[in-house]
Amino acid sequence: MSILSTEHLKIGYEEKIIVEDLSFTIQSGEITTIIGPNGCGKSTILKTLARIHKAKSGFVYLDGKAIHKIPTKQIAQKMAVLPQSPDAPAGLTVFDLISYGRSPHQKGFARLSDRDKEVIEWALKVTGLEELRDQDVDTLSGGQRQRAWIAMAIAQETELLLLDEPTTYLDMAHQLEILKLLKKLNEDENRTIVMVIHDLNHAARFSDRMIAMNKGRLMKEGTAEEVMTAEVLKNVFQIDAVVVTDPRTNKPVCLSYDLIEQEKDMNNKNGIVQEPVLV
Amino acid sequence: MTTKKDLAKKCIWIISILVFLLLLLFFVSLNMGLVKIAPNAVLQTLIGNGTERDKLVLLEFRLPRMVLAVMIGAGLAFSGSILQAVSKNELADPGIIGINAGAGFAVVLFLFIIQGSMSALAAINLWLLPLFSFLGAVLAAALIYMLAWKKGINPIRLVLVGIGINSGFAAAITIMQLKMNPQDFMKAAVWISGDIWGASWNFVLVILPWMLLLCIYALYKSHTLNQLSLGDQVAIGLGVHVERERLKVLFTAVALAGLCVSAGGGISFLGLVAPHIARKIMGPKHQYVLPVSALIGSFLLLLADTIGQNILAPTQISVGIVVAIISAPYFIYLLMKTN
Repeated sequence: MSILSTEHLKIGYEEKIIVEDLSFTIQSGEITTIIGPNGCGKSTILKTLARIHKAKSGFVYLDGKAIHKIPTKQIAQKMAVLPQSPDAPAGLTVFDLISYGRSPHQKGFARLSDRDKEVIEWALKVTGLEELRDQDVDTLSGGQRQRAWIAMAIAQETELLLLDEPTTYLDMAHQLEILKLLKKLNEDENRTIVMVIHDLNHAARFSDRMIAMNKGRLMKEGTAEEVMTAEVLKNVFQIDAVVVTDPRTNKPVCLSYDLIEQEKDMNNKNGIVQEPVLV
Repeated sequence: MTTKKDLAKKCIWIISILVFLLLLLFFVSLNMGLVKIAPNAVLQTLIGNGTERDKLVLLEFRLPRMVLAVMIGAGLAFSGSILQAVSKNELADPGIIGINAGAGFAVVLFLFIIQGSMSALAAINLWLLPLFSFLGAVLAAALIYMLAWKKGINPIRLVLVGIGINSGFAAAITIMQLKMNPQDFMKAAVWISGDIWGASWNFVLVILPWMLLLCIYALYKSHTLNQLSLGDQVAIGLGVHVERERLKVLFTAVALAGLCVSAGGGISFLGLVAPHIARKIMGPKHQYVLPVSALIGSFLLLLADTIGQNILAPTQISVGIVVAIISAPYFIYLLMKTN
């Protein structure tokens, strides 16, 4: 069942057009990742889905209704959004940050109801932040801070979760920790997740569906096996990739890659790259 | 580390302490001034048994001035708190970013051009004056918004543009001052640096209802301020109508600054320092920051006014200068920390 879809989206900033004509559908209960090289418009697309950025033309539909016709608070009850590296005011505690996630369900002075408190406790528990509840967000480590923001987003209790690069600036272990948390939310709570991710192998490992973008155009959409092929990666990233199957997860991984056009860096030719940093 | 319940309790404590300090200062300040009145005589006068002279000095001159100081201090603190939350900028203050200068320009323009003199406030002007001041504040805010805001809210840019706008309006005021007679020139000069003038019960009554209305509205919007201080994108995700809500609270801050300028001239730094101290004590939630910063602002301004009136008596130092002397070092400290 489709929960979020776009129809002939045209997106840009002032004169500059970033996405010309984009239509796709997000299935309910799935994890969808948007991948693509820098500047391909993935973040812009996510912002448009999240109604942060307005499309020049075309539509975003949430549950079949045009999103710009739904009151913004009502959208916030259906869809939570986590932008890239958000910034909390100094001195804000983890508990208070998470409590802000309840605001779409509150009125006026935002007093926390028993139900609100229950949900906040649950969010603290799921993200493993119970011990840190009274700590200031700005004193946490990168991984903890990201978990706190995710806790705020899930405290919104929405079917749909949009995340823009939730693993940026985190080390490998913390990246995995965040993605496993999201996967768990997806499996246990049936949350639909749409995210932009830079790491292809993570995207392949954790998503049901992948959307590959380049220069504002949708290049390929499908399961990880369909999208993570040498040919698609060549078209999307201009790389020559060796894609194998991860023996642990049975998902495709990009084992090694090289640039197609220029091969200046001779030393690194055919070098095994664990964490593909996409140029 | 404090839990939510502790924080509410702490807030009540802090407010109680501040109210006590403010009352204490209020009483001390009543005793002081050009005419010294003993504490006992003050008490007698307040309960209605004073001499005619004490009544006149206390009830007609000193008390309305102090009440105005308390109102202006609270108003500037509210204004600064809101500006800082909305711009995500620790350095925002209606004085520093030029809103007060815009209001000041409008007031001087009004008094000089329309009334032809900087003295003698007629009854009708008591109503028109805050209105003009407000319009000037809105003009300055619109300029700042156009020049600094649209290209992303960079704290340093906001301050730099503010300083530019400040000096622009200051220059415009100077041009008008050059046309004034010496007496008006002096009056304008003192007022620009911050001076509680025209202190009368009438003026208190003109401003008080607006002040109360705006402050209550800001308190009502404290949760929105919390959400806005998370940044536009997060706030939108939480279902806040960011453009609309930001405009509402900004309007509140600008209107408060305008009112304060009409009563107290160009007082800078107070709207910066008071919210800062409040956040240091109470954390960033505006339910707590707003009332606590208002009390701190009132206390500081009343303190500054009392010092300014007495330290070099019979010469009076304008309150804005005393505030600046007290708080400028704090501003420089913040500026250095930001860099």
